Amino acid sequence: MRATFKLKQDLLIEVHRDLSRPHAFAAERVAFMACRLAATPRGICILAKNYLPVDETHYEDDPTVGAMMGSSAIRAALEYAFNHKAAMFHIHRHDHHGAPRFSAVDEREAARFVPDFLKVAPGLVHGALVLSYDRIHGQWWNPTTRTFRSIDEYVTVGFPIITQKDSSR
Amino acid sequence: MNDLSRQSFLGADCDMVVTGTTAAIVGLCGGGSHVAQQLAHIGIGRFVLCDPDVVEGSNLNRMVGAVAGDAVLSRAKVDVIAERILAINPAAEIARCKGPWQEFSGELRGATSVFGCVDNYADRAQLETMCRRFLIPYIDIGMDVTEFGSGGFAISGQVIVSMPGRACMRCLGFLTDALLTAEAQRYGAAGGKPQVVWPNGVLASAAVGKFMSMILPWYGCGTGPAIMTEYDGNTGQLFASRRLLTLEGRRCAHFDGPDDLGDPFFRLLPGA
Repeated sequence: MRATFKLKQDLLIEVHRDLSRPHAFAAERVAFMACRLAATPRGICILAKNYLPVDETHYEDDPTVGAMMGSSAIRAALEYAFNHKAAMFHIHRHDHHGAPRFSAVDEREAARFVPDFLKVAPGLVHGALVLSYDRIHGQWWNPTTRTFRSIDEYVTVGFPIITQKDSSR
Repeated sequence: MNDLSRQSFLGADCDMVVTGTTAAIVGLCGGGSHVAQQLAHIGIGRFVLCDPDVVEGSNLNRMVGAVAGDAVLSRAKVDVIAERILAINPAAEIARCKGPWQEFSGELRGATSVFGCVDNYADRAQLETMCRRFLIPYIDIGMDVTEFGSGGFAISGQVIVSMPGRACMRCLGFLTDALLTAEAQRYGAAGGKPQVVWPNGVLASAAVGKFMSMILPWYGCGTGPAIMTEYDGNTGQLFASRRLLTLEGRRCAHFDGPDDLGDPFFRLLPGA
């Protein structure tokens, strides 16, 4: 089953603008993307709907990582997923050009909190995205196998339409 | 596969982009038949062709690629155009959707872009809504022949790019409730509207140009094509619609509701 992630160009610009803002103590910003889902002939399509920055006060001061969300950040995102029946994707950026990759810390943390979204919004697809300045990489949590699977394709919809294949495999 | 070297200025990855692109065309007569064949020449790799009709003698004045024998045999327009595409590019993959496009929304939602070449406002409104729901750029073309009081005629038309997040056909004032209501009241009463081949060719070429500028922008920078181009068939001029002047800086509010994206009742099936 192929997974395609689509978002509007204006929304991607908004995401980059927000993730570029400095934080009082965290080295990077984190956020969630609330998405809707659709079945396609070849699999599923994840459609980005709303960008939800983590509140300033929901970061924890942890100098060993770029940014650490507190439990209130996760709770707010879970509440949003429940209230809006949203597919939730954690999102952050690595500040470079070219294909981004999740770090070991990113993967460990995502494996901890992403499955929780299935408890409040079951039947949906949740996951995590990491951006670079010009590319996207993401994973969705498959509840059947209890493993992450890479998103196969990313489409930025605007002038121009940019289609990016996943380059992790 | 075709030799696409003469269009290599479109970018080093031109071949890969065009073969990986899926173009859906709804309506395969005057406008859609032109669009389909131009896209085949460009090397577009996958097509979704939708039309419920068969070729009739009255289509032959404008359906490029159709011949008299197609009308005699009442061949499906989808099959005739698929045959033309494959004659140009035998490697093209084609989904043949012979019926109302609404029955093939599964095929349409996988498209890179949808061309609407239909002749009524209700279909346009529904196609745009479907495309916005799945974040698909929708390109609409249409022409009209209007009789002057003095006995002359005016040929006009338009190409609209409805890009998710940008102005829609309602923002542009092209679709209104009044138009849709009036059309619904005329349902079944309208005869065949006047249609001729050359305005369809002009509008289809403009539409294909806008599509190509979206998938392989050759101009390096800028904001992309005008989202509404109008055609004055009496003077032979294409021009950016003056309606665009009223939209500067405005966001579309017609497709921004909480449930306007995706399948409303999507559930991932166990074992997926």
